[in-house]
Amino acid sequence: METIKYDTLQESLFYEEMDNGLKVYLLPKLGFSKTYGLFSTKFGAIDTTFIPLNENEMINVPDGIAHFLEHKMFEMQDGDASDKFAALGASTNAFTSSSRTAYLFNTTSHELECTELLLDFVQDIYLTDETVEKEKGIINQEIGMYDDDPDWRCYFGSIQNLYQKHPVKIDIAGTVETVNEINKEVLEKCYRTFYHPSNMMLFIVGNIDVQETMERIRQNQEKKKFHNESDIQRFKHEEPLEIDKKYEVLKMDVVMPKVIVSMKINDILIDVNHKLKRELAMNLLLDLLFAKSSPLYEKWIDEGLINSSFSANFTQERDYCFLQIGGDTFEPERLKSKIIELIQTMKDYQISEIDFERVKKKNIGVLISVFNSPEGIANLFSRYYFEGHIIFDLIDTLSHLTLEDMEELKPLFQENLTSTFIVTSK
Amino acid sequence: METTYQMKGYTLHLIPTKKFKTMTVSLRLQNTLTKETTTMRTLLTFVLIAATKKLSSTKKLAMYLDDNYGARLSSHIGTKGQSQIINVNSSFVNERYLPQNDSLLINQIQLLSDLFYDPFIHNNAFDEKIVEQKKKELKERLQVNKDDKFSYSLDKLFEYMGHDDVLGISSTGYEEDIEIITAKDLYQYLLKCINEDEKHLYVVGDIDESIVNVFQRYLQFPENQIEYSSSYIFQSKKKDKVEMIEKQDITQSKLNIGYQINCDFLSKQHYAMTVFNAIFGGFSQSRLFKVVREENSLCYYVSSSYDAFNGIMIVNAGIDSKDYDKALKLISEQLQDIQNGHLEDSEIQITKGLLENALKKTNDDAGSMIALSYNRDITHKKETNDEYIQKILNVSKEEIIQVSQQIQLDTIFFLTGKEFNGNN
Repeated sequence: METIKYDTLQESLFYEEMDNGLKVYLLPKLGFSKTYGLFSTKFGAIDTTFIPLNENEMINVPDGIAHFLEHKMFEMQDGDASDKFAALGASTNAFTSSSRTAYLFNTTSHELECTELLLDFVQDIYLTDETVEKEKGIINQEIGMYDDDPDWRCYFGSIQNLYQKHPVKIDIAGTVETVNEINKEVLEKCYRTFYHPSNMMLFIVGNIDVQETMERIRQNQEKKKFHNESDIQRFKHEEPLEIDKKYEVLKMDVVMPKVIVSMKINDILIDVNHKLKRELAMNLLLDLLFAKSSPLYEKWIDEGLINSSFSANFTQERDYCFLQIGGDTFEPERLKSKIIELIQTMKDYQISEIDFERVKKKNIGVLISVFNSPEGIANLFSRYYFEGHIIFDLIDTLSHLTLEDMEELKPLFQENLTSTFIVTSK
Repeated sequence: METTYQMKGYTLHLIPTKKFKTMTVSLRLQNTLTKETTTMRTLLTFVLIAATKKLSSTKKLAMYLDDNYGARLSSHIGTKGQSQIINVNSSFVNERYLPQNDSLLINQIQLLSDLFYDPFIHNNAFDEKIVEQKKKELKERLQVNKDDKFSYSLDKLFEYMGHDDVLGISSTGYEEDIEIITAKDLYQYLLKCINEDEKHLYVVGDIDESIVNVFQRYLQFPENQIEYSSSYIFQSKKKDKVEMIEKQDITQSKLNIGYQINCDFLSKQHYAMTVFNAIFGGFSQSRLFKVVREENSLCYYVSSSYDAFNGIMIVNAGIDSKDYDKALKLISEQLQDIQNGHLEDSEIQITKGLLENALKKTNDDAGSMIALSYNRDITHKKETNDEYIQKILNVSKEEIIQVSQQIQLDTIFFLTGKEFNGNN
């Protein structure tokens, strides 16, 4: 077991790779009652074309399958995993994103049993045709719920319109049609391919004894048999440079319109450190441009163009990267033009040293605050882990950013790669 | 452990702990929830933290907070039964995690004091421009809440259920009452809050008693003896149960049911009701989740919640319009089943374990610690977390059945699609 000490945050992280390839990280939190365990696999909504384990050809699986599998994993041969956690006084949940699926528990007692249960229910699959069919009604209601959510429609629509082929445009839950195509066999195929220990990471944070917890995990893993680890072959989508759709208006039963201007970034970085620098620098840049402390935010508020729902976000995962800027407004067209105008003039944008240091301080503070909450730490850890980073390094990287790092971002702003999505009343 | 100090015009609660990387300061102002003042009070929560005389715009204030390592200043409005509460919260990084020692704590206390005693005013009125911006923002916020069908349908349930009652008063104000509020009215209302509201201030973080002197120096309010009531038992003035159906152009229908329960935060039966609700629909192990979702695949979410300060219980579920009758039937069957005494010891045991876990977890989050203390402080309930857990564990099967028999369906609000045709 390795120990990694982080002086600034005054935390110690413990790491070990199991013989079967599973990576385990433990973070004891002194004084906390709660323990939170997160077991993640690098399998998300975008993994729809791949070579299944022990096969030779690419297959295409129905959209929404990672999410469907997440729902079904809780079923065990001898009962439901949530009931077993409940019997230990613990609660459990799971979530699926574009690039990963994660299962979690949180508890204030029986930490070792909960850790084992988390490993056990995720490392085994039990499906019947009947239970798979039954789940479809539940998932279709989940899809219906998102269909009625104007914020989600605007957020996701603005991503979909950027991509012609890349599966990041696939809605995480799929559609009613694709969900209906899902069956037991294809779920099992996905499970065997993506739930191998070597494609997964376990993170436990909270009121734990490190030695004891690691030993229990070791013993648990030694008892289980897995097929040999093999490299997962995912299909590399040849995404054209151009965006898919420049402009879309969706009419819903709402009164308050909203707009998001999204921008595709085609320059995908390979080097993980460079990638992290870009992400942290972009967050600083977006604060400089659009946060409450920016001249633009003040101007647009004064003009009645935006309200506090206005925000700008940067997403960079695996092989896709984009920006989203927007919010609620009664003048979506005018706000859209203003945002695009800004994107066009980004090459001339000047950053002062004082403003740069100020937003840097802010971002450092925000990052430190994350380490208050076991959930916050675990979720952020898992997100960055599969991108090749350990979150404890973020603060250092952030502190060392320079104005030159910011300069690199300017060429990424290109008007021809922007798309606009508007949700408005019928 | 928490210690309490009676300061001039407010009660100071210190919760010292070294486990957080930040410090949290939360000031809560309590007054009666009324139809006439709810909009004014909500608007005040927006304007109050927009600026001070020294930091006279949202931008200047935001820059100041950035410079204080991303210190956060936020406010929100909420209710506790018959009371409406203004929350002003500040959180900031504990200096020992920072490269240089800035005096963030003093800065934030000074800022909090300035919000009340050095606001950005001219001639006894808040800044006109800021007030107009915030009026617009509040209007838009209310609009967005309506566009969110989940929160809209829940608000509608309260509106119908609590018609002519405090339950029916919107906790976030009314769109039509925003326009007439002037910058002068609003400032006068702030002065009234300073004079008349009951105030509690909480500090959670790496602090010791010496901080009491700091508060004494920086923050004082006029003393008053006014008591506001909060927790109450909702009793319907209607003779019959009400069923309201509204159609909109939506995919998923929202079912909301309100029940009278004859029990509230201060009742002896509060603990039995808490356990009942958890068994009925409070967790994903609960009856409703098992039956309505898992066995019948009718929904993605279904749950019940016990609103202890209004003395009611609510059930909500997102379903297909065609399943309206079936869902209603399943939900009422589960209630009747418990009322008839069908309750397993094992489900009681498991539920108590989950409640214990949920309560212990609040100790790991500053906001939850404050929320829990506040409930007790405004109702003068003397109880520690351990005592609370003990009372939950002591609840008997008979008590759960007894409290379940007090539950009566009061109002149904169903928001559904255009295709819905009657409930027959």
